[in-house]
This record gives sequence, C-alpha cells and structure tokens, in this order.
Amino acid sequence: MSEPVLRIEGLTKRFGGLTAVDNLSYTLAGGRLHAIIGPNGAGKTTLFNLVSGLLAPDEGRIFFCEREISGLKPHEISRLGIKRTLQIKSVFPRLTAAENLWVTAQAENRFLHPFRAAARDRAIAERVDRTLERIGLTHLAERQAGALSYGDVALLEIGMTLISEPRLLLLDEPTCGMSPAETERAVENIRALAKTIDIVIIEHDMEVVFEIAADITVMAQGAILASGSSQEIAADERVREAYLGRPEDEDYVEEVAHA
Amino acid sequence: MTRSAAIERVFLILIAAVIVAVPWLIPALFNPFWVSVIAEILIWSLFAASVNLLFGYVGLLSFGQALYFGFGMYGVAIGIADLGLPFWPAFALGIVAAMTMALVTGIFAVRLTWHYFAIITVVFSLIFYFLALTNKWLTGGDDGINFTLPPTFQLGESQLSFTDPTFQYLFILATVALCFWLMHRLIGSPLGKALLAIRDNDVRASLIGLNVYRLRLIAFVLAGFLAGVAGALFSFFGRYASASYMFYHVSGEAVVWTIVGGAGTLLGPIVGTSIFIFVREVVSSQWEHHELVVGLVAILVVIFAPRGLVGLWRDWIAALIERAPRAKGPLQVEPTSKP
Repeated sequence: MSEPVLRIEGLTKRFGGLTAVDNLSYTLAGGRLHAIIGPNGAGKTTLFNLVSGLLAPDEGRIFFCEREISGLKPHEISRLGIKRTLQIKSVFPRLTAAENLWVTAQAENRFLHPFRAAARDRAIAERVDRTLERIGLTHLAERQAGALSYGDVALLEIGMTLISEPRLLLLDEPTCGMSPAETERAVENIRALAKTIDIVIIEHDMEVVFEIAADITVMAQGAILASGSSQEIAADERVREAYLGRPEDEDYVEEVAHA
Repeated sequence: MTRSAAIERVFLILIAAVIVAVPWLIPALFNPFWVSVIAEILIWSLFAASVNLLFGYVGLLSFGQALYFGFGMYGVAIGIADLGLPFWPAFALGIVAAMTMALVTGIFAVRLTWHYFAIITVVFSLIFYFLALTNKWLTGGDDGINFTLPPTFQLGESQLSFTDPTFQYLFILATVALCFWLMHRLIGSPLGKALLAIRDNDVRASLIGLNVYRLRLIAFVLAGFLAGVAGALFSFFGRYASASYMFYHVSGEAVVWTIVGGAGTLLGPIVGTSIFIFVREVVSSQWEHHELVVGLVAILVVIFAPRGLVGLWRDWIAALIERAPRAKGPLQVEPTSKP
C-alpha cells in the first residue's frame, strides 16, 4: 500500500477533566474493512467526530490521503470524500426520503441555483433513483423521513453517504436498533460497499464485527488497546479483560462520559 | 398533483382574481378606504414573508426584521428628499440599503441559532432604532422624513404615479406578487432545498458538505431583500419614513402574523397578516383594547393549530377528501415513533 488512507498522529481531545481521546495514533492502510470496537466511553465516537470535523482536536494531526484535514470545517472534510453516519440516526425529518438523497447529491456543488426548479436536474434524479433501489427504499421514496421506521432511517442514512460517492466511509454503529432481518441486509450492503470504498465501522454487535471486518482495532479509555486481524483480536487477553473483566468499571467510564 | 393541491389551486386563482379586481370592486361595494387597507396588508404580508423565509424555511427566528424594513423606508425617503433621486433609483437605494444592512448584521447573527439568534437580531434592531431616533439631521427622528412623490413612469407629458390610487394599488400588488413568486421559485430550487435541509438538521447538513454558515447568511440577506422591498413600498405608500417602524414591536408583529398564518408555507404570512390587520381596522374603531383580540387569536392558533391556519386548512381539506368514498386515495402517512 503506497499511502495510507487515514493517518492520525498523537490525537488528543479533552472534555473538561475527561480525556476522551488520549494521544492516539492510528494508520488506516486502506483496501480492507476496518472495525473499531471498545467498551462504552472508550472514545470511538469522539474519534469519528474529530476525523469528520465536528470537534476540533486539542493536540495532534489527522491526514486523509496525506493531506492534513485537522482544523478543517465539517463541510470541507465532507467535500474531500469522507462521509459518515451518526450513532443516533440523523436525516432530514421533514423532507421525503427522495429529497434527503437529492439534497445530499447536490450538496457538493459550489453554486446552488437559487431559482431553477430543483426537480429538473435529470442527472441527480437518476442517481437518487439508483440509490433508492440500492438501499431498497424505492417504495418509500415519497414518504417523509421522519415517518420512516428506525431501520429504514438507518438505511436512508447509509444511502445518503453512498449517493455522494465517498472515498472513506465512517459508519457509527450502523446496525444499532435494527431488526435481525434489517441487520442482515445492512451487513450485506456494507460488505458489497467495502469492495470499492474504504470503510471504518464502529460496532457493538460482536457478531457483526467478526462477520464483516478484516482488521479490528480495540479502543479503551481513549487509547488503542490492540490492533490486528479478527483472529488475533479474538484471542487477545487484554481485549477480553476490557470487555468482560470488571463490568463496574465500564459503568464508571460511562458515567464520567455523561457527566 | 393531489386532489387537495388541486382544490387549493382553484381557491387561489379565485382569490387572486378578487385581489386584482380590488380597486374597482371595493369602492363599488364598500368604501374606497378599504383599498388602501388591502394595499397595506399586501406590504405587511411581504414583510411577514421575510420572517417566514428565515423561520419557516431555514429555522432561524428573527425578531429584528423591522431593521431592514426601516432601512428600505429610509433608503427611499433619504434618496428622494435629500438626494433628489427619481422613483426607481430611490427604490433601488432602499433595497440595497436593506440588503447591505442584512449582510453586515448577518455576518454576526447567523453564527448563532435559536434564542441567541433571536436575541442578537433584537439587539441589532434596537441599536439602529435608537441611532435613527437620535440622529435627527439624517432621519428626522420620531417625526420622520416626509417627501413629495416623484412619478413612477413618465412618457412625455403623461405620467403614472402613486397619486393615482388605482395605479398605486396595482403597483404594490405587482411588486408583492413578484416577490412571492421569486420566493416560490427559491423554495423549489437547489438552494431552497439546501436551506430546508439546514432547517431540519444542521449537523447532518454540514456532514453532507453544505456550508451551513454561508447558506444561512445568504438566506438572511434574501430575507433582508424581502423586508427592504416591503419597507420601500411602505415609504412610497405613506410618502414618509420614520424611525418608529424600526422598533422591535414591528418585528414581533410580523412573527405573530407568520406563526398564526403558518410558518413554512408560502401563503401563511398573507393569511396571518390579513386577519390581524382586518381585526385591527374593524375592532379598533369600536373598542380601544383591540390588541386583546389579537392576543386571543394568536394563543388559540398556537394551541389548536400549531402549523398555523394554512396547516389547519390543509388538514381539513385532506380530511374532507378522505371521508369522501373514492377508488384510490393518496397514501396516508402514519408517523411512527422511534423505539
């Protein structure tokens, strides 16, 4: 692999007294589906927030294809091709499913025409139709996103990252709250995507993680605990401890995170 | 097009026909006085539309739109009285002044959202209200500036000006209609869709690559344009400008009109403004506490029709159609709650 897709150097983020991400360094080679796991409060979502620009790091630098992105605004990072989903599914509730995709597809245009009818753009309309088909929501295209089931909203959110043809996809617990059937479908989707796009996925569902991820990184207390192939991680003692060791610890960390 | 949208369209065409016919219809049936009341309603509807553009379509509640209305007024009045400008350049000056002011204040204001945004817009309008009040040499303070109207169109000897009440009414109507048409185009455009996305979820909007700050600023300047056109028209209509129209009370009224009429609907502000100004004109002649009626209507609507009167009307039409037995109905969307 010539250049890493994502390279993080000494990244630190503090919230008051809590260090959510602690001097973290990480290199994503690319070409393989990568998962980040770890107990609640380990700093996984904070890491995503730092990479996507929603939070500014206190220390450290982030490079995307050897271009520094730390300090850029979320929309600038998004335009470079890093797309993400949020842990709490996040769409535009008062727009229809199709409009959600529509507005995402045209978001990268520097110039948004103020008076031409949006519906006239045939190229975007086609992309919307194709994406709806891909995520299986064609029959719900005209329904308001706020009136969709939770699983459908999650699918729509994935569709919104796809329609913009990302280079790096950050998925934050994509199957959280999905039914088994929906999970299966999402896993299939993610697997298919990983063939063409670099994906980093945060996931709590171990079954899902070991099913799809080739590489796994384990985070605990803001730092990387272990990194390796799924077999290596499954056999790692420290990982077992972090997950199964002392559950009261986990509660404590969670409390601190919400304090 | 759904059946309810078709019904709405027929209804709108009828109302539009009546509004165009006002200068001939109203003096024949009632009293010429009502023609100018309706002209005033049109202007204030446009002003309310500027609140609606921000609140209903971008999710920013401004309590300071009177500032840009005031700049529209003063641009015209100062242009004519002090600079001796003809009609159209003075009109342009009013609009440019309002938009420039919206740009300058917007650079600061749209960094904030929700109540912080509401507060900063009030603060800006108060600052300039007091500045206008105290700088009498420029603004005339509370007395304002009176001016003599230049003709709107002039061709040799013949000219058209606001001194002709029918022309005045039709000019105001055409200008207001043009602005509402532009707003309609805007809402359906790529830019409009991006604004709706920001209204719904600004974090997600930034993650899909929208420059939220810049788009909010654009919307703020466009709202300044609508308020500025309204102010300029009102200045021509009243032949004067006064600092009292920059007071935040004026902004607040437009917020109430918009919410009662239906924020986020194109015509909501017209409905809200019409009702309140009619109530004011009818009740205030009988009873000095007419504002109580205004308050009562506002409270009732907010409680029983959270989407405003236009929303209530649409629900009502939809229910009527639903009840009528027919072969294929539109898919009824049941909002499902999150688990």
